[in-house]
Amino acid sequence: MAFEIFERELAVLKDATAVLEKGEIVDASDAQRYAQLIKDYEKLLKSSRRLVRLSDRTEEKLNKLARSFDEKNRMLEGLSVKLSKYLSPQVYHSIFSGEQDVVLSTKRKKLTVFFSDIKDFTGTTEHLQPEDLAEVLNRYFSEMSKIALQYGATIDKFIGDAMVMFFGDPESKGVQEDARICVQMAVAMQRRMRELEQIWRESGNEKPFRMRIGINTGYCNVGNFGSDQRMDYTIIGSEVNLAARLESKAKAGGILMSYETYALVRDMVDATERAPVKVKGIDREIRSFALNDIYDEKLSERRFLRNSREGMILLLDKDKLDQEGCQQAVTDLEAALHEIKGWLE
Amino acid sequence: MENLNIQATQRTPEVDFNFEKSIFFLRGESYPEDVTSFYGPVISQLREHLASREGVEISFGFELIYFNSSTAKILFGLFENLDEAASAGNKVNITWAFEEDDDNMEEMGAEFAEDLEHADFQLKQLKG
Repeated sequence: MAFEIFERELAVLKDATAVLEKGEIVDASDAQRYAQLIKDYEKLLKSSRRLVRLSDRTEEKLNKLARSFDEKNRMLEGLSVKLSKYLSPQVYHSIFSGEQDVVLSTKRKKLTVFFSDIKDFTGTTEHLQPEDLAEVLNRYFSEMSKIALQYGATIDKFIGDAMVMFFGDPESKGVQEDARICVQMAVAMQRRMRELEQIWRESGNEKPFRMRIGINTGYCNVGNFGSDQRMDYTIIGSEVNLAARLESKAKAGGILMSYETYALVRDMVDATERAPVKVKGIDREIRSFALNDIYDEKLSERRFLRNSREGMILLLDKDKLDQEGCQQAVTDLEAALHEIKGWLE
Repeated sequence: MENLNIQATQRTPEVDFNFEKSIFFLRGESYPEDVTSFYGPVISQLREHLASREGVEISFGFELIYFNSSTAKILFGLFENLDEAASAGNKVNITWAFEEDDDNMEEMGAEFAEDLEHADFQLKQLKG
């Protein structure tokens, strides 16, 4: 006999029926009740078998559904990884985690805006074949994006040879810290560009790319602009335009900041104020500062001493101190030490 | 009796029955297309073996990740067979292993063990 999952129950039923058939139950009323019991047991067994079959079928369907969901999930995951490359990681994260709605809405926020482009891009690239141009351009964007991501910039967009990034949304470390990180990033980028310039020259490129950077801090409108069908997470406003104008006035390989940014980073940079300029679309005269160097051990080769905390700012720049200047610094520091010791007594 | 080794498939578990040592394992997922044709020969060999044992140590390990209702019915029968073997004077140890965080499988093991009167039963959590 084939294996039967209810064989125990069937055996019970068979034994019970045999007892009845053999007439072992003498009393007619008991026999009737016993027969009814067997009938009920038979019914119960039948419904149990049906329930198990039904349950198996339902589980089978659920399993198929679960497998299909898994497949769809994997497909969506793959798709979202691909899509993520079209978005800044912070924007991607805020959308996919549900922190941000994908609706047309904007807010005003104080941001530090970064603009860069390649000085004389057309002239620099006219001698390049399209394939070589694509390779150089992709290398340039990849290298710069890598640095931008290290510093946590929100990459807004690439426009031709230009890059637009900002700090302060969707994540912010505070207005001052956002500005400081942006300037550090700009320095790191120019430093890498100098290395790339060398590499490109060595590989036969006579006119390697040279990047200009403009940075400004101010209130911008940030959010989803566009239409319900196609939107763009970006920034707009006169402060954004100002960053673009500053970039166009920066020297090749240089970084030009607005006064608003400079004021937030002045203790960590060496910068030279440029003559105030009028820029298109902005009524006031613009004060701008060209960055010479940054007092950052990782980003500068300059010899300096920098220490700042609440109630104390110390900055000694060896490049700006001649013999006489150093002597004067010693005198000043000794006087300061004497004064501080007096405070301690 | 020859040992029984059936590799797991997507729908059927690994069957590792060592009749010589009376050590048995069922591992994996169980929702066979035809439950009777898969379990029929396995269960009948096991029953035959259990019925012939006396005063020996028998160990049965379950490491199931998922099973359907028909398999559950088979497992109820299997537990009864093992308990009967224990009642016949054998030392029967049943281990029900479940994956970490699989509360459902842990609960199932406890339910299967509820009717055991003679066999020893142990729940075991598998490490990550």
